Amino acid sequence: MAKAKLSMRERYRLLTRDLDWEPTYVDPKKVYPYTRYEGIKIHDWDAWDDPFRLTIDSYCKYQAEKDKKLYAVIDGFAQGQGHLSLTDARYVNSLKLFLQGVTPLEYQAHRHFGYLARHLDGPGARFAALCQSIDELRHTQTEIHTISQYNKYYGGLHNWSRMHDRVWYLSVPKSFFDDGLSAGPFEFLTAISFSFEYFLTNLLFVPFMSGASFNGDLATMTFGFSAQSDESRHMTLGLEVLKFMLEQDEDNVPIIQDWVDKWFWRGYRLLGLVAAMMDYMLPRKIMSWKEAFELYLEQQMLEGLFPDLEYYGIRPPRHVEQAITEKEYMSHQVYWILYQFSFAASFNTTVPTDEELDWMSGAYPETFDRFYRPLWERARRLEEEGNRFFFRGLPMLCQTCQIPMGFSEPGDPSTLSIRTSQFRGERFNFCSDGCKWIFDREPEKYVQAWLPVHQIYQGNCGGTTIPEVLNWYGIQDGVDNGEYLTSPDKANWDKWHTGAVVGGA
Amino acid sequence: MGYELRTNVVEPVRNGFSYLTERFGDRPATRYQEASFNVQPMENFQYRPTWDADHELYDPNYSALKLTDPYGYTDPRQYYYTPYVANAADRHESFAQTLKYIEDRRLLDKLPENWHTVLTGFVLPLRHYEQGAQLISTNASRFGYGTTVTQAACFASFDRIGNAQLLSLIGLALASGAADTLTDAKKNWLYAPHLQGLRRMVEELLVEPDWAAGLIGLDLLDEQLYPLLYEHLDERSLFRNAAAYSLLARHFNDWYAGHRKWLNALIKAWTKDPQHSDANTKVLGEVVDRWYPRACGAVREFARGLADSAGSVSVAGAAERGVAELAASLTRAGIPVNAPEGVTA
Ligand SMILES: [Fe+2]
Ligand SMILES: [Fe+2]
Ligand SMILES: [Zn+2]
Repeated sequence: MAKAKLSMRERYRLLTRDLDWEPTYVDPKKVYPYTRYEGIKIHDWDAWDDPFRLTIDSYCKYQAEKDKKLYAVIDGFAQGQGHLSLTDARYVNSLKLFLQGVTPLEYQAHRHFGYLARHLDGPGARFAALCQSIDELRHTQTEIHTISQYNKYYGGLHNWSRMHDRVWYLSVPKSFFDDGLSAGPFEFLTAISFSFEYFLTNLLFVPFMSGASFNGDLATMTFGFSAQSDESRHMTLGLEVLKFMLEQDEDNVPIIQDWVDKWFWRGYRLLGLVAAMMDYMLPRKIMSWKEAFELYLEQQMLEGLFPDLEYYGIRPPRHVEQAITEKEYMSHQVYWILYQFSFAASFNTTVPTDEELDWMSGAYPETFDRFYRPLWERARRLEEEGNRFFFRGLPMLCQTCQIPMGFSEPGDPSTLSIRTSQFRGERFNFCSDGCKWIFDREPEKYVQAWLPVHQIYQGNCGGTTIPEVLNWYGIQDGVDNGEYLTSPDKANWDKWHTGAVVGGA
Repeated sequence: MGYELRTNVVEPVRNGFSYLTERFGDRPATRYQEASFNVQPMENFQYRPTWDADHELYDPNYSALKLTDPYGYTDPRQYYYTPYVANAADRHESFAQTLKYIEDRRLLDKLPENWHTVLTGFVLPLRHYEQGAQLISTNASRFGYGTTVTQAACFASFDRIGNAQLLSLIGLALASGAADTLTDAKKNWLYAPHLQGLRRMVEELLVEPDWAAGLIGLDLLDEQLYPLLYEHLDERSLFRNAAAYSLLARHFNDWYAGHRKWLNALIKAWTKDPQHSDANTKVLGEVVDRWYPRACGAVREFARGLADSAGSVSVAGAAERGVAELAASLTRAGIPVNAPEGVTA
């Protein structure tokens, strides 16, 4: 007997959330023990509206086809020695930062969306988290495979996962994600799904992926395109999940506002590394950090998203006006830090070329010629005299973001910003009001921080001399670190590009 | 022209990632090795979880079962994301073809009445069992230690929810696209006496704090249910004009054979571990002591239900053989079975 066919929506429900049942032999609160302690109230998980209708068969089919195409490009690029067509070997430094600093975050997202896929009470949200968990594994693995070919020819890439666990500047992304994982499930959703994957995502991924396409890195660019359809699902989830939490109970609003504030500043500080990469590591620039910030943050988010969120009682993040002020100089301050300490980093830095200095003067008319051009010109003189400038000694780190204390007072690039707090009789230092505010909300958490510089002083990093620490980091001195102009990467690049002529003569 | 010359002159500076050449020798690594080894964060975690202050974010102590080398385990299928989804896509595609064939020939309508009951009363309710299995596997993928283990568990969790969806598709086909059969199947899962042992055990496994114990407990059920439903009943269906059952069962049986590969290898890695083999064997023995009697009891109840409502004369005997075979396979794996089986929990 013919029966009325189900709507697509109902069919989807039967294939996903209808699989769930309420446990009766054990206490359901014990099955999902982590969704009450943060104070977020969810009254009705059924109100969760699935933002997309994926089933396992359609997911696997679509993803398998995408991967086939992606790996064909990666293989072709490797076989054709595609890396030789880059704009310059200097570009590879952005890939080093990416593999050491971003790929491990993809992995952390993979594991912890698994936590959500197990521990959220609502089956619809759990299934969305499960799909994102396996997507993020895809990103981890395709990034490793894409960049693996570069590792065969360039320094700095060969020990990325160990470096992520140990090296000073990588504690910036690591502490960011560890902060999210160690929070409860709803804060993690706000931190990663909303703040990282929606609010800040264009400032994180677009610079790397456009940087790849502008600099001849077809492999990474293709990876970026291939990940885009996954990321657009993650973005959608991020916004939906935020609205869902806000709609469930008014009491959720102030809690979430606090998290939006916290994770904005936490993410923004992390983006300092991206800002430096954009303006300094790409031989061929996409746009300046300042332009990217204006487009992706001020226009798309502050003018586009936040007016919508006002309806839910959410206002733009605290301290955002300081970030806006800093757009005029943030990348220069961060790269200057990296430049001075790159003897202990797994990438190379160098003074920008004349052409680049002029580009920066144009991109940063208010600040560059006044504050940073003189700095780089002095650094270049020292370099030419054979005294390449490195900071001798160890920097003081911000207790929250873990970036060396090299940021200035907002709007005043010539005065160093230092904030402090007392907790349990001890003094802690911060780079900014935002980082101090984050600490003061949860001092018990941030006093636990594994601060790389403290750890060196305490003898936990293989020794107290630079060679010992580098060895413990897995950094090969003279291969992975230091000045670009005298690096093996540069020497090899020059050799390879004259080698073709010699070989063909 | 330039390109060809370049490929001749440009020699790699190194063969691969340091940690892979250290582990596997100074040669280029496979994609599985690159995707799987030393990927998980291992140390210097910044903050303790607010949801479990006794552990680190990644911590071998989420389970009592330990590997000396967290990467001492390798998935014999060498699945990383890409081959996994390619394979899963093929599996679902081939299932869809079977289901279409069955629907085109109206083979479900031709199922004898009691085989219809086997599906609706016993097989379809297990879509909920599969979702429970997904949660247990996902827990392992989050709390396991080392990517070779956790990614295999992640793929298993995806497979389990995939199985639940395949079973649901059978239910939709049985009701000509309507929800009735699935609604009944859910009622059975919740209330039918012969399914309560299974449901109870799955729920108890969901609160098992040790992810590996959860996985093993679940496997004690799988090891009895899968052979019973998809091997034994498959064979019977061939003699009983229940072609549709056999055609569908094959897919679950094939999946189970692949599933056994990664899990058997993991059990072996635990029991043969250079340092922890004795301790692991003892822990596995305790897990089995705790769950084996309940698993046997739950499957017996299930089989009794099958015998009663579907009039199967052979199924009770097959379930008993399953109990014995499970004990034998545990013993073969070096895991002592001390608990008397068959005590209904
Ligand atoms: Fe990702
Ligand atoms: Fe993502
Ligand atoms: Zn800071």
